Amino acid sequence: MTHPTHRTYQRSVERLVFWLFRLATYLVLAAATYIFLDIGIKGGRTVFTSTPPFINVPFLTEPPQTLYVFDFEGKKMTLGDREFRQWKTAHPGVEVEATSIAYSAGGIWPCIVGTALLVIGSMVLALGIGISSAIYLSEYSRNGPLIRLVRIAILNLAGVPSIVFGLFGFGLFVIFFGWNVSLIAGWFTLGLMVLPAIITASEESLRAVPQGLREGSLALGASKWQTIRKNVLPYALPGILTSSILGIARVAGETAPIMFTAAYAMKDEMPWQVAKFTDFFFQGVMALPYHIYVVSSKIPQNEYTERVQYGGAFVFLFLVMLIALTSIVLRERSRSRLSW
Amino acid sequence: MEGLADSRILIPARTKSRRTQAAIEQGIKAFFGGNALVAVIVLALITIFLFREGFGFFGQNLANLRLYRQAGLEYVDIIRATAAQHEALSRKLSEIRLRQVRVMEKRNAPLDEINAALASFDQFASAFSDTAENLHGLVSDLTEQASGLKERLFARAELLAQRSQLEQNGEHDAAAKIVLPEIDRKSAFDSLHQGAATFESVSAEMTAKLYNLLATAPPLPDPGGQKAFEQWKTQTREYLAGLPAASEKLRSWSPDTAIPWYRSISSFLFGREWVTASFWQDWYGIVPLLVGSVMVSLVALLIAVPLGVASAIYVSEVASRHEKRLIKPYIEFISAIPSVVLGFFGIAVVGQAVRAASQSSFFKWVSFFPISERLNIFTAGCLLALMAVPTIFTLAEDALRNVPRGFKEASYAMGANRLQTIARVIVPASLSGIVSAILLGLGRVIGETMVVLLCAGNRIAIPDFTQGLGTIFQPVHTMTGIIAQEMGEVVRGSTHYRALFMVGLVLFTITLGINYLAQKFVARFRMSIG
Amino acid sequence: MVTVLEMPEITSPITVNQPATAPIPEVERGIIEIESVDFAYGTNKVLHDISLNIPPRSVTAFIGPSGCGKTTLLRCLNRMNDLIDGAGITRGSIKIEGLDINAPHLDVVDLRRRVGMVFQKSNPFPKSIYDNVAYGLRIAGITKRTLIDEAVEKSLRSAALWDEVKDRLHVSGYGLSGGQQQRLCIARALAVEPEIVLMDEPCSALDPIATAKVEELIRQLKEQYTIVIVTHNMQQAGRCSDVTAFFYLGRLIEFDRTTKIFSNPAQRQTEEYITGRFG
Repeated sequence: MTHPTHRTYQRSVERLVFWLFRLATYLVLAAATYIFLDIGIKGGRTVFTSTPPFINVPFLTEPPQTLYVFDFEGKKMTLGDREFRQWKTAHPGVEVEATSIAYSAGGIWPCIVGTALLVIGSMVLALGIGISSAIYLSEYSRNGPLIRLVRIAILNLAGVPSIVFGLFGFGLFVIFFGWNVSLIAGWFTLGLMVLPAIITASEESLRAVPQGLREGSLALGASKWQTIRKNVLPYALPGILTSSILGIARVAGETAPIMFTAAYAMKDEMPWQVAKFTDFFFQGVMALPYHIYVVSSKIPQNEYTERVQYGGAFVFLFLVMLIALTSIVLRERSRSRLSW
Repeated sequence: MEGLADSRILIPARTKSRRTQAAIEQGIKAFFGGNALVAVIVLALITIFLFREGFGFFGQNLANLRLYRQAGLEYVDIIRATAAQHEALSRKLSEIRLRQVRVMEKRNAPLDEINAALASFDQFASAFSDTAENLHGLVSDLTEQASGLKERLFARAELLAQRSQLEQNGEHDAAAKIVLPEIDRKSAFDSLHQGAATFESVSAEMTAKLYNLLATAPPLPDPGGQKAFEQWKTQTREYLAGLPAASEKLRSWSPDTAIPWYRSISSFLFGREWVTASFWQDWYGIVPLLVGSVMVSLVALLIAVPLGVASAIYVSEVASRHEKRLIKPYIEFISAIPSVVLGFFGIAVVGQAVRAASQSSFFKWVSFFPISERLNIFTAGCLLALMAVPTIFTLAEDALRNVPRGFKEASYAMGANRLQTIARVIVPASLSGIVSAILLGLGRVIGETMVVLLCAGNRIAIPDFTQGLGTIFQPVHTMTGIIAQEMGEVVRGSTHYRALFMVGLVLFTITLGINYLAQKFVARFRMSIG
Repeated sequence: MVTVLEMPEITSPITVNQPATAPIPEVERGIIEIESVDFAYGTNKVLHDISLNIPPRSVTAFIGPSGCGKTTLLRCLNRMNDLIDGAGITRGSIKIEGLDINAPHLDVVDLRRRVGMVFQKSNPFPKSIYDNVAYGLRIAGITKRTLIDEAVEKSLRSAALWDEVKDRLHVSGYGLSGGQQQRLCIARALAVEPEIVLMDEPCSALDPIATAKVEELIRQLKEQYTIVIVTHNMQQAGRCSDVTAFFYLGRLIEFDRTTKIFSNPAQRQTEEYITGRFG
């Protein structure tokens, strides 16, 4: 038998190491929590107000404007572009030295719209191709060299950096196809970027449907497609959609692929203000992540810019995390409920 | 089965549309199969388009390098290098002085006294920097000459290209109208070559002056400073001894020496300078960017691997059920934080915090603190670590969880405690899975753009490794960052544009390699757990 | 035909008294005619030269120790083995009502409708009882509600399940007990009016009472259907089959009337297996 003191020694070593592990784990959680709190609190000051309706509606519904800061009669004035012009007409003959800071007034409405459009289009594309591919891989394919090639391609595609997808989209869609910086180029770039994740998740869901359901259906004289349509897809679909929501979070959160395929730093018209219908697809849009990049790197950090920087980051983080949370909650729930 | 006459009439035999049915089924299958091929096609297209846009780079860069030689820029740069070395020595003198001042300040000597003690040294330093006056003059003269020649050569090449374009289109008249300016390269080079003679006289003069100066070098009060000063003196002597070699180089230099084709590739892969949109000469060397990417990733992994693996072990082996149910989704949740938000957080909070910490008295003993740049390798690495932790955690936890229960039970049955079981059975069994998790974490980090673009400081230079650990507090630029930053501003089809695609291609190759390794380890893991 | 059997595992020499595929006197022509079939999973040959005729409107039992290939043979009869990569018949033919079911232009969907199957593990679809039974009909393109209603009731009655579920036709099939689920699967198979019903150890997961009910059902069904059943349970084979085929190591050892096999088997291996000395 081991000597008793040796055993207590071992036990205290074990306890110490486990505490270190615990510390590491909670350190990670604490770091993330700090980020959420910092952006939540400072951004909350922009997005929420202390008076009804408690939400800063102009910030969410107006386009960004240039901010003018100037001294007037001993008072510090901070006015947005439009207000500044009104103020000037109201005070004719008054010469003021105004500092202008781009993007720091107004709101982020066009960015929200642009991001929503990008996400919807690219997800439709990715889900269409992704689910179809997954059906083929899980239901039809037999192991052969071509299928192995497809699987290798999917695996490797998943590891390609998003900026390389951006370069690819720029080379193929923007230049080679001549689509310029446009929604449709962004859709394809982002859609192809999440494709591997969607295929993998969908295939996993399809494979989770028990083989017995397929055999039972085929034994009743159903054709392959009937079996898939009526007896496989309906049961796999919740799983597919749940994991696809995580794909949405990724698409919404990426900046690098849209930097030179779809995003404009500033655009005056809203996406629906187009001359003809087809122009809708071939216009660049403002996007929240790109906007955050612009306001955090192209304008200084000071008291006047904090409002828009933190406000934008807060709204963006909130939206993306909401999507991610939905996916995680749905999955946890389906995990406990669905077991074949 | 036609033989069976029976009462079963409910379902008609499927005779009429058997063929169409089969065709439809085939069609559906082909449709899905086609979609599955998209992945292959996309991967192929990515490769093709990176090559397509990047491939012309080597040709253009070669032309760029040839122009560099033909216009005599290379010639001027030889002289400029000697001038730059002189400047570096000058800078070192001021460093020595700064250290002296610090030492004396520690002894609470008043400023006047310090200045008085160093007066002779200051005189020496200014005399030293004066010796290069003629050298600098020569460099600026020649620079003007060479850039003038380069401009003319460049304009001529443009016209030439224009003319051949017109010839190709069959517009011979218009082509004939383009007059190529005659460039008298010979006289231009003659005047350049006079520079060699001037350099020789200038350097001889400087050498004489410097030897005199060195002989009269004043002593320094502090022994440490004196040691550094002696070191400096040796370096200066070495510098002077190297000057004849430079003039030799100048004499043998000729604008017509051919530049071999591989120089274009080697200057990209091994080039230590990335200089673009410069009035003098553009360099597209990937080394500073590659080093930047690697440094940032290393720092990120150094932080993320212990945290990620430790928390994976904790969650899969130690944590209670309730903790598990909370921690796992939370860490997954972290992985969804958009990188641009992390980057913004880095600028707004982390960078400041790191600098503030480096200035605090608590860290006074650290030699390289306080740091000057708040955005540096360390800042970016910290944030990237937070991005890598979820990847490493999730995959490592998966690997740990998939270790067959039998392994664990066998270990417990022999009286091992939990820690021993973890250290000797579970972790070794899942090691290749954990390694693959780390590799995929590396893949994620090295390909990440926004955080490094916003937080790595964006200084295109190889960090100064002589600073030891302090190196990680220097700003760098990365491969991903340079693409994101410069792609929007370049002229399509220019050398710079193609160089960026080449950087993308290198990045693509690196991540494919990492991915391949990770898959190898996954396969090994599957085998090791049976 | 097989005259010498290579079975190195059995130490005692085996003498073969009569051909293993002796026709059953009363059956001139089987509804299923299996002729010298070899079957392989990739390179692994699991069935060797199987020949037998299955009589119509009767219950045929396949018995034998695990891994002897009886399930594989059963799954050949409606080509369910098509679903397995690299598996297939390498020699011989299977005819159902004189038609080769492996002929290239044969419609496998049609075949499966005529040759229904009940699986070892009951596999009701995650749908209501009604929808489970109606599934095959809807697949076949029948949309008329009254026809489907009628067929559902008929099938459930045939499967002796109607009285137990008639008040809850629209609750999930998963809510039924194991025995009921298996009978639901039988009802589902009957709904498309197959000629032949294949049963792959249908009672292996059921308790004795549920087993008895299913067995009773099988005896009733042979009035209308040809039934082929794979079973591990000797008593079950004895109780409900008319003819029995005994397989061992991928070969057909003996095929005869069940009464004959169980009272006076021609082969010693059959006797040893039935009396429980191996297997």
